[in-house]
Amino acid sequence: MLGEELPKLYDAEEHRSNSSQSFQARKNILLKTHGRPPWYDEDGLPVCDAFVIGIAGGSASGKTHVARQIVKSLGSVPTVVILSQDSFYKYHTEEEIALAHANRFDFDHPDALDMPMFAACLADLKACRQSNIPVYSFAEHQRLDETKYLYGASVIITEGIMALHDPSLRALYDLKVFVQCDSDLMLARRIQRDVKERGRSVEGVLEQYLRYVKPAFDNFVLPTSRYADIVVPGSNNSVAIDLISTHVRRQMNERARHFRKNMACTSIDKCLKPNDNHEDWNVIVLPQTPQLKGIYTTLRNEKTSRQDFIFFVDRLATFLAEKAMELLPYRDKVITTPTETAYSGKEPDVKHICGVSIIRSGGPLEKGLQRVLSDVAIGSLLVQSDAKTGEPLLLHVMLPKCIRHRRLAVDTWVFLLDAQIGTGASAFMAIRTLLDHGVQQDHIIFVTFLVAHNGGISVLHKAFPKVRIVCGAVDEGLRETWLEHYHSEGEGHHYGDGRKVWIVEPGMGQIGDRYYL
Amino acid sequence: MATTTGTTSQATPGSLPPSVFTLPQTAQLEALYTIIRDRTTSRGDFLFYSDRVIRLLVEEGLNHLPVVPKTIETPTGSKYEGVGFEGKICGVSILRAGEAMEAGLREVCRSVRIGKILIQRDEETALPKLFYSKLPEDIASRYVLLLDPMLATGGSAIKAVEILKEHGVPEERIIFINLIAAPEGLVAFCTKYPALRVITGWIDKGLNEKAYIIPGLGDFGERR
Repeated sequence: MLGEELPKLYDAEEHRSNSSQSFQARKNILLKTHGRPPWYDEDGLPVCDAFVIGIAGGSASGKTHVARQIVKSLGSVPTVVILSQDSFYKYHTEEEIALAHANRFDFDHPDALDMPMFAACLADLKACRQSNIPVYSFAEHQRLDETKYLYGASVIITEGIMALHDPSLRALYDLKVFVQCDSDLMLARRIQRDVKERGRSVEGVLEQYLRYVKPAFDNFVLPTSRYADIVVPGSNNSVAIDLISTHVRRQMNERARHFRKNMACTSIDKCLKPNDNHEDWNVIVLPQTPQLKGIYTTLRNEKTSRQDFIFFVDRLATFLAEKAMELLPYRDKVITTPTETAYSGKEPDVKHICGVSIIRSGGPLEKGLQRVLSDVAIGSLLVQSDAKTGEPLLLHVMLPKCIRHRRLAVDTWVFLLDAQIGTGASAFMAIRTLLDHGVQQDHIIFVTFLVAHNGGISVLHKAFPKVRIVCGAVDEGLRETWLEHYHSEGEGHHYGDGRKVWIVEPGMGQIGDRYYL
Repeated sequence: MATTTGTTSQATPGSLPPSVFTLPQTAQLEALYTIIRDRTTSRGDFLFYSDRVIRLLVEEGLNHLPVVPKTIETPTGSKYEGVGFEGKICGVSILRAGEAMEAGLREVCRSVRIGKILIQRDEETALPKLFYSKLPEDIASRYVLLLDPMLATGGSAIKAVEILKEHGVPEERIIFINLIAAPEGLVAFCTKYPALRVITGWIDKGLNEKAYIIPGLGDFGERR
């Protein structure tokens, strides 16, 4: 998941270790130093795959060290996944497990690994899709039922003795690295590590080495060095690592996109049609009843107390959620009433449904959704704009199970919640994230209080024409300003000397602040 | 909108008295009624889904209250020509089923005053009789949202309005909020009080020999 600490990494061959479980947990991880910038263009399509590095080399050759050093020197790259081949050991039979417990199963052979699954997971991650990678237990010598969810890496480092062995894996790498190390040095390191850290005898280590490790290295590992783009020495390799990270950084920079400016200030006229054409709607505005106008007047008024603001936001959110529910498909259903009468009614024709709220200002819509869908799962996305560039950054992803798993996501309806659509940058990023997970575009219903007429909605609609937007009001203006000029209490000092923000006019002010602070 | 309109039991709007307003008959609303009509629905679901309908009804009812133009300033410094709410309101529930609508009312109208009226059939005369009423003192100056989920023959609703009028509430300031109505009851009620507005969620086929609404949803108070 996002947000884990830079871990201490261990080498791939954990099978002989008694205490390997805790090491394993740290292996497949997503590291981030800051948010993830847009990985898609103005049309909403991903512009680039993640950059994938494969690192192979003998056991105790220093692959993990190389991987760790690359991560360290990449520094500025937002999200890096380190994927270990250990996760992809096959599901074993009873006999194999018995052999494994007796140290008589050859884990160093390529056949021990589920290469098709390894390649499928890596292909998903490379294509910016989520992946649920298997979890392998070294204590049980078995693949567990659980999986580990990974999403959103811009750099993926795959490491393992067989990392360059399978052609389907090799086809996915942007950079292939082989860590070259003398056999005697590898053996020396191995003895030292296994005796010291894993409490094994020298005889045991040597027997293992001669029976499995050495033949595997000679037959399967060393020959793959010819596929490598770069061969890195197993020690004193800082120059090689510097070369690699410079290369990766340059590749990443070429892929970066700055497109926020292009999104603001085009007109929504094309996609917001008058109320007579139902079919082409992608923006559904609540009927402008006297009560609705009254609610908006209260919410827009800067003099409205926080208490009133919260109450009317909850009330409006409930109403918006009810409207959004109308957009679901329904099918016929016949029931019997307590008066023993048959009644032919309807029920929603949906398999899974959930909410996803864009933190923080999607939060005020959550209560409304919960009043309409009891015990609905609500996930969250944290999108913040970079103080310097104004570019949106994806900082945190926490999605419900029915989106995390691709096979469920295709049948999932999502109510995406955010207080307003101004530039549309965070809406754009959130929708792209859902699509990356396999959610269908026409299954996304964006629920919001306000849409800025001159804002990013036209770009949003052009990129994602099937996403429907339910709102209560469409405002005229979108203007860039400094936050400190109109900050309400509590805001401002978080950002020092202020920063550029886009505001909707007349708008409702900073809805999140008014609701929470 | 991607919805179809079902009219399984809805009377044609043309035959309705002009003071009757129904909710938009969306597939979604029909699905809500399908849940609350289903005799196998659990109490928890019945509560949750009937509350959803009640909120929609109250929201619709409030649209019949007057608003006045109001100009305000937004936090962005812009002027906004909006409207302000005008007039005080209160709720009056017809016991005991009407009480079940109070929570929904208060979700839309925070801390609204709620009066109560208990009407039961007199065993001797078979006519509705007032047993108890407790109403806000200034009710005559308020708009009244009268709550009763089921309108069958209309007997108790008619009696309740009679009591409100005795307390000085003019007919045109009463809005009757109702989940399911029988056409017979609607006609009787609206003929008697033509200036009173009725907001109902669904108009059913009619009444059976025991004066239960068909298809209906059973005893609303019992199921809550």
